[in-house]
Amino acid sequence: MPLIGALPQPITSTPLVFFVYLVLILLLGSALASVLLRNTLYAVGAFAASMVLVALLYLAIAPFLLVAIQLLVFTTVSAALLIGLLRATTGLRTSSVGRLSPQWIIGAAVSAAVLALVGVVLGATSWPTGFCCGIIVGLGPVLTNIYPVGLAVLAVILASAALGSGLLLIAPTLPSPARGGGSRTVRR
Amino acid sequence: MTAGLNLVLMASAALFAIGAFALVARRSAIVMVLGTQFMFAACGIAFVAFGRFGLGAKNQNAGAAMALFAGAVAVTELAVGLAMAAIVYREHRNFALDADRG
Repeated sequence: MPLIGALPQPITSTPLVFFVYLVLILLLGSALASVLLRNTLYAVGAFAASMVLVALLYLAIAPFLLVAIQLLVFTTVSAALLIGLLRATTGLRTSSVGRLSPQWIIGAAVSAAVLALVGVVLGATSWPTGFCCGIIVGLGPVLTNIYPVGLAVLAVILASAALGSGLLLIAPTLPSPARGGGSRTVRR
Repeated sequence: MTAGLNLVLMASAALFAIGAFALVARRSAIVMVLGTQFMFAACGIAFVAFGRFGLGAKNQNAGAAMALFAGAVAVTELAVGLAMAAIVYREHRNFALDADRG
């Protein structure tokens, strides 16, 4: 009996291969935009788009549970944390762009084109239910049966990070050396 | 034309390089944290790619499980990093980490 079982084959379905290529190109482009953009809000938007594209990549090659967690937990929590930080510090103003301006129309057209592409891929193949989920099943039982210690450690890490970040946010600030003094300011 | 382990690993390496570039070349705390997020995401993609294409049928969920753990640790790191960025902004009214150099 082989230790690792049969090796899976590469993806050969043409629409799915095109989809993987497209997602990877868009992922690298949005990541590069997120790093290079000077406007922090735009950088955060490009980062959120990158996380969504990672979820789309997982949809082609990973179990659906990972896709759902990447999309619903990691992406939304990351975007919420970043937007919350921007609201708490620099402030977010409402957009000065009108509702029917060309920017909104172009954005809506691009979104509709991407959705149409996903629809075409869904219609032309049995993906994702016939591809990913037919091959890779049962991530939940694997997590609970094989990695229970990892799950427990993860829960502790997440809880301690939430506690630590909350404490950091409510902690009093330290005066900078340029302004003199090294004593800790106490907020009453 | 196929999509296999090599393609996904190359994309993962490129994403990791983008994250490393943000970490060493930008001075905004937020962009640096985003760079670490991209590096975590690249590691997760590599884990998933090995699980899907390289580990065999008996271990194909292992990569996804590792990617799940890496993603959760990344979100945790993001929370802590953004809290530190908030403190930097509170101190300097700026997200630049070298704002006090004058």
